[in-house]
Amino acid sequence: MSTTRVFQAKKIITMDPNQPEATHVAVRDGKILAVGGPGCAAPWGEFTTDDSLADAVLMPGLVEGHAHLMAGAMWTYAYAGYHDRTDPQGKLWKGKRDIETVIADLQAYEAELPEDSPLIAWGFDPIFLPTERLSRAHLDRISTTRPIAVIFSNFHLMCVNSKALELAQYSPATNVPGVVVGDDGSLTGELQEMAAMFPVMRRLGIDFRTLAQREPSIRTYGEVAKRAGVTTITDLFSTMEDSDLDTMLRVTGEEDFPLRIVPVLGAVAGQPEEIAARAKMLAGKSTDKLRLGAVKLMTDGSIQGWTARVKWPGYVGGHPNGIWNTAPEQIFALCEVMQREGVQMHIHVNGDEASEVSLDALEAAIRKHPWQGHRHVLQHCQMMGVDQFRRSADLGVCVNIFANHIWYFGDQHAALTIGEERASRMDACRGALDNGVAMTIHSDAPVTPLGPLFTAWCAVNRQTMTGRTLGPTQRISVHEALHAITLGAAYTLKLDAEIGSVEVGKRADFAVLGEDPTTVAPEALRDVPVLGTVMGGKVHLL
Amino acid sequence: MNDTRLPMTVIGGYLGAGKTTLINRLLQAPHGLRLMVMVNDFGAINIDADLLQSADEDTLTLTNGCVCCTMGADLFLAMGRVLDREPRPDHLLIEASGVADPQKIANAALAEPDMRYGGIVTVVDAREFDALNTDPLIGPQIRDQISCADLITLSKTDQPDPALAETLQALSPAPVVTTDGADLFDRLLMLVDGPGTHSAGHAHPAYVNWSYEGPETFQPRALRDLLAARPGDLIRVKGQLRGTQGQGWTVQVVGSQIEITPCPQPDQSRLIGIGLAGRLDRAQAESWWSSVTSEVV
Repeated sequence: MSTTRVFQAKKIITMDPNQPEATHVAVRDGKILAVGGPGCAAPWGEFTTDDSLADAVLMPGLVEGHAHLMAGAMWTYAYAGYHDRTDPQGKLWKGKRDIETVIADLQAYEAELPEDSPLIAWGFDPIFLPTERLSRAHLDRISTTRPIAVIFSNFHLMCVNSKALELAQYSPATNVPGVVVGDDGSLTGELQEMAAMFPVMRRLGIDFRTLAQREPSIRTYGEVAKRAGVTTITDLFSTMEDSDLDTMLRVTGEEDFPLRIVPVLGAVAGQPEEIAARAKMLAGKSTDKLRLGAVKLMTDGSIQGWTARVKWPGYVGGHPNGIWNTAPEQIFALCEVMQREGVQMHIHVNGDEASEVSLDALEAAIRKHPWQGHRHVLQHCQMMGVDQFRRSADLGVCVNIFANHIWYFGDQHAALTIGEERASRMDACRGALDNGVAMTIHSDAPVTPLGPLFTAWCAVNRQTMTGRTLGPTQRISVHEALHAITLGAAYTLKLDAEIGSVEVGKRADFAVLGEDPTTVAPEALRDVPVLGTVMGGKVHLL
Repeated sequence: MNDTRLPMTVIGGYLGAGKTTLINRLLQAPHGLRLMVMVNDFGAINIDADLLQSADEDTLTLTNGCVCCTMGADLFLAMGRVLDREPRPDHLLIEASGVADPQKIANAALAEPDMRYGGIVTVVDAREFDALNTDPLIGPQIRDQISCADLITLSKTDQPDPALAETLQALSPAPVVTTDGADLFDRLLMLVDGPGTHSAGHAHPAYVNWSYEGPETFQPRALRDLLAARPGDLIRVKGQLRGTQGQGWTVQVVGSQIEITPCPQPDQSRLIGIGLAGRLDRAQAESWWSSVTSEVV
């Protein structure tokens, strides 16, 4: 016979308006049996009370609607970024505020490496270290015998040492676009774009796709999520080959694996009909902790890389407009077929021209093939204004807004990319909510660190790295932000019947917190400690 | 010259331009080369049953030694897998996606020591070009695909429209040919392998050959400038030249790309070049080279 376990907490924030707060939640068969006080389970027979979480605040397990499996795999390599990050084992990697610190930290890391391994680091971003450019000479101070590659946070650039240049057979005589030559005629070590990085990546065995799909990386994803209070997460551009599926099913199927993963199939190559057929086949393989069946469309690039497609007047400083990674006519063709076949789409749109073309494509598809419950989701939505939010609401399209950008890149957007006016109404959560759009917010981990409470803090405070409030009009309340990272995200994944609130009948997935996010100052929301998660009634403390 | 590097050619062009038609023909033409062709999508690859040796989820193997495969999620990883194949194919052809910048792919052949630049062939749909060129959304990317081309092939027409040819030439100095001619494959191979390396290379009606042999010596930097100033229709040049310091120089020119690498000093400087019949005037090549050599010597 099934047992009933009642978790006692300091407070349970349910996100259920019928009963916003509780102190006890009863769990049976991995689901929520009752919510309320100490006796809430009494009508259901015998139960045991578990007071191991009595000092903690519980919330529904947090839901991340836009992240990538690579967020786990990256920790195979050394972190070299500007901001503090915590690895899956809980070790804090201090942000490196100058190049000397980057070098010193990598020297320490190198000392622990096996002799024949290359040193590979990730997350470096020169946009935050404008005074000096990282070069081969810096990296040669770490080693001249071991190849070293420091991959920049955008994955479009890297800096390597002399040994790595030698392996790639790059020399001052090399005349290859992207292999940067310094003023003195020697190579700086910087390699720009995939073609120039390819000979190094090939010889150092850097292969993110394969790495991300490996079993240890999936487990690491589970650890990363647990530290962020996340119990359901996407992998929002899955390549999901048959062998990958077997691995994913096996790992997520383990009782102790603390995470529900929603891989979303990348729709890039092949005919729309074939992609739809594969998505539907995958949907049939879904289990409780692996939810398949949706697809991801790419449209434009990124705003800080000047590759997003933006409407007039374009980028400040006259930088040319961005690029389409999928042609507009292909976006139309994909939208029509997915809508017809009943396949939910998540559509990458950074610039406002990309979101406009995508809304046009969605509207055309919806006119041709009625399907009320599609819940297609525009992803990133960074430059959408009221007009586009109204259209989204009219069409039943959801938005997932990249709120973390405000803190990480808000200053850069105001100064360098789209200028003050449009930067101050970027990532407009207020505009979305006020116009009736189903909304969530995201980290795009590993682009920025996974942490829905941090993402909520960004949407609530709109503070940038220099401390200014960028566009105060677009701030939302703490409650609205907490809704966005629970039920809001669950809705965009069509999982709101099962997760997103602490309600009878839903899965017993909780975030275990050290403080109450509804009573701390809104400015302190990001500092609320995460103690772990409960997944299907099973406790996973850090 | 024993160059074991894998030559790579990128086939660019917008959706529906005719890249797949071109690839279908290249795979099945009797050229005697073991081509490896990487495509985005198998859907439209159409191989005669009697030429098909085997087929699985992502690879078609032909009885003529050619292989066609899908590139999967990552083009560059797929490129690495081709380089690791034993034996390596004779030539790698990559079909760029309809919105890709072919230059960004072709640059890998310049960067990778195990590969050699085999040019960019951009396919243009003669009937659709004007509409695409003036489309504010996609026009700039279409123009980028053309401006980086070493050879432009016009599909869906027998005869290039003069106005269209003029528009294209304003974007790129590359020769414009139609895809319908029977000698298309020879023209592509000319770009890729250069004169004299395959059976069709001699006295073919599609080509004009030019060659030089003499005792002159050269410096690499000056040599690069000289080659850059060659007549634009001389699209492929290769050979070995004597250097001034007892060191020779191997020259490989494919369209816009000039590669000069050291080699043992040859007894004579030799250079051969090739262009398309009807476009390259041999006298023009001769006069360029004689002005060059008279300055250098």
